[in-house]
Amino acid sequence: MEKTNSGFNFIKWFRKMWTQHPLFSTACALLLMAVLQIIALGFDQATFGEWLSRYVRNWINILRNNATIGIIALGMTFVIITGGIDLAVGSTLVAIGAIIMLFIDGSQTGILTALGITGVPAYMIGILMGLLAGLLLGEFTGVLITIGRIPPFIATLGMMKICRSVTQQCMQTINPSVPMGFTRIANFAVGRQMFMPIVYWLIIAFIMYWVSKHTAFGRHVFAVGSNERASKLSGINVNRVKRMVYAIMGLLVGVASVLQVSRIGAMDYANAGSGYEMDAIAAVIVGGTSMAGGRGSIGGTVLGVLIIAVMNNLLNLIGVPPFLREAFKGVIVIGAVLLQKKEKN
Amino acid sequence: MNLNMKGISKSFGANLVLDKVSFSLHSGEITALLGENGAGKSTLMNILGGVLPADEGVIEIDGQAVGFSTPKESLDAGIAFIHQELNLINDLAIYENLFIGREIRSKWGILDKKAMIEKTEEVFSRMGLSLDPEAMVRTLDASYKQIVEISRAMLMDARIVIMDEPTTSLTETEIDRVFSLMRTLKKEGVGIIFISHKLNEVMEICDSYTVLRDGHMISSGSIGDVTTDALAKMMVGHDVVEEKRAVHKSGAVAISASSLSDGIFFNDISFSVRSGEVVGFTGLLGDGRSELFLSVFGAGTKHTGTMEIDGKAAVIHSPSEAVSLGIGYVPRNRKENGIVKDLDILENGSLVTMRSRKKGPFLDSGRIKEEFDKEKKDLSIKMGRNIDPITSLSGGNQQKVVLAKWLSADPKILILDNPTQGVDVGAKEEIYTIISRLADKGVAVIVLSSEAHEIVRTSSRCYVMYHGRILTELEGDNLNEHEIMRWATGAAI
Repeated sequence: MEKTNSGFNFIKWFRKMWTQHPLFSTACALLLMAVLQIIALGFDQATFGEWLSRYVRNWINILRNNATIGIIALGMTFVIITGGIDLAVGSTLVAIGAIIMLFIDGSQTGILTALGITGVPAYMIGILMGLLAGLLLGEFTGVLITIGRIPPFIATLGMMKICRSVTQQCMQTINPSVPMGFTRIANFAVGRQMFMPIVYWLIIAFIMYWVSKHTAFGRHVFAVGSNERASKLSGINVNRVKRMVYAIMGLLVGVASVLQVSRIGAMDYANAGSGYEMDAIAAVIVGGTSMAGGRGSIGGTVLGVLIIAVMNNLLNLIGVPPFLREAFKGVIVIGAVLLQKKEKN
Repeated sequence: MNLNMKGISKSFGANLVLDKVSFSLHSGEITALLGENGAGKSTLMNILGGVLPADEGVIEIDGQAVGFSTPKESLDAGIAFIHQELNLINDLAIYENLFIGREIRSKWGILDKKAMIEKTEEVFSRMGLSLDPEAMVRTLDASYKQIVEISRAMLMDARIVIMDEPTTSLTETEIDRVFSLMRTLKKEGVGIIFISHKLNEVMEICDSYTVLRDGHMISSGSIGDVTTDALAKMMVGHDVVEEKRAVHKSGAVAISASSLSDGIFFNDISFSVRSGEVVGFTGLLGDGRSELFLSVFGAGTKHTGTMEIDGKAAVIHSPSEAVSLGIGYVPRNRKENGIVKDLDILENGSLVTMRSRKKGPFLDSGRIKEEFDKEKKDLSIKMGRNIDPITSLSGGNQQKVVLAKWLSADPKILILDNPTQGVDVGAKEEIYTIISRLADKGVAVIVLSSEAHEIVRTSSRCYVMYHGRILTELEGDNLNEHEIMRWATGAAI
């Protein structure tokens, strides 16, 4: 008697959550995939300890490989909530990466090496320069969009083309090398596990969450995205909010770029970061943020990044050919939005 | 075509919004559907229009029971619903709007423009209109847009037309234009359901009325048998006390302007408002008063001329500068300019003050809530929880939240543009009381309104504008509806 009663309540609760909470279905999908992932991982280890360590290692891999996209997606969430979009993130990542590498380069070509600054101080300056470059590029995009009144799609499309092309041209003959020390930023290992990118991602996600929920700026982001005119007439400096959103986006691309350079120890200017903008946008959308602006959440975006990442891992484990994996990503994006849409009615 | 709705009930969750309501309409009859916001008018009409299903009750057309599950079914049965927000596409021509979704095609699937224009002209001539079918909808004024909507209904052979507050954004002449068209339709045997808050219009155009209150049908009958006072009483459930306007003690000049011009909407405007005074600005649509004060607030066109606030020269470039100078601004068109639909009630009510209520880098949510709760009480906002969506409130209560947003910033000067737009009779009175209370507290209040009686009711002085200029300043005995209309229509020149 007791048992059937609680079972009934679960169904009721589930149905309520499913219909009322737009992200619940996404969370369920993630859970389902995590279960499938466990099955796909197999149980052929000798002991539970071995299995567990393999399982944890797999997860750390997933999270670490997606930390860069995860960080970019956090900035993209704010951008999309204001009703905008940033297509330039992949290209600015490369541009910023080049700037960082020019500063930290340990060989003769390095700017700081020439000045006699090496080691940690050089890394610090390199990182600061990278973040500053990201901030300025973002701010510039924001100025184009607000003062130049160019639609975000067009402004960032332009920035996307400019950044990559100029970087490729400038870096044609220079080949900076990344010192070993710098690679420790992302590859610092505790017990052979390199989870620093995950830590950076989660810290930034937490900060972004707080900003979105508990600061005036964060609430203004939502207000501007939902009704720009009413926001303006309430004395909110709409242009400042938009500029800040793109500047934060740039800053986070800067962070992502530091991680990318540190993790890989080199940068392929032609291909690095390409498609990141779409991956980030996909994660934001799967996370329930509305492309029309005004609605969305940082938590949803983290969920969105995870679901795409876990799915990729799962497809990898069960041996789906790589060319087909992108298709599944597409299915996830469309499916997630369909599910969330249905619940709105 | 005779319409009979019997015993219609509808509830949303536990909330019964219509309780066995009956409603009828004969062909060639114009009937008024009256009631405060939230009385159930929209729900009843949405049931008739096939937007919502009824829980109980029957709809009969010419004695035949019918049921509509989609707007299209209702339309096919000859019922056209003209919503308050018109469904026209500004960048298409009139005839294209009329035929949208039902375009006439020649046999190769190419649009038959000639046939469509001919049909449009046919409808126009039947309705006694001389409009160019190829004119762009963008170029039409609000009344002609309304008329194009009605023409579309006629083109589809609608026998019943539901008009939801069609006159809200119209001037007197435009209203006359729409009314004469309604009379033509009436002669053709079309039944019209006229939803309006303006009782004098109801008296002028309608044959019969039905009053709803809190989901119940209160009364219905012939317009000839009632007065506006009686109707207002039925709507609110008690006598509407037309409080006599209090004379406010005014202080020093809070804001003054001399020869403001933007070269487009307003010209050579000079005025001054003292603190503790309520000053009206009125005129017909297109008189430039909204644009003037949008510009004063820093959100409109750039102007030349000078302004003084508290005796000091002030130049305002943006709303945020205006806010820091102590100016508040409640805009017209609440939906577009006032509320932010994705934010909750509390956030909407604190949108102005939010940025200055901080604890370190974070919002001081305790103080924000405290301030809003105070305004909520002062303005008697009827609402559920603070975190409910703003759209869950009725128009009047939404407007009060917009007011609360400004009042919590303690403005010294408050500009109210059309403060009672889309607000029911009861809430209207409450807003008037709030205005008067603000003046008593020493706020300089500026009320912009096209309704003369609203100006007379709230203001102790008023400027009448006409084509972007101030024609006159009325005060004391001269401040009456007749005098306002004489100047606003340009008749006094």
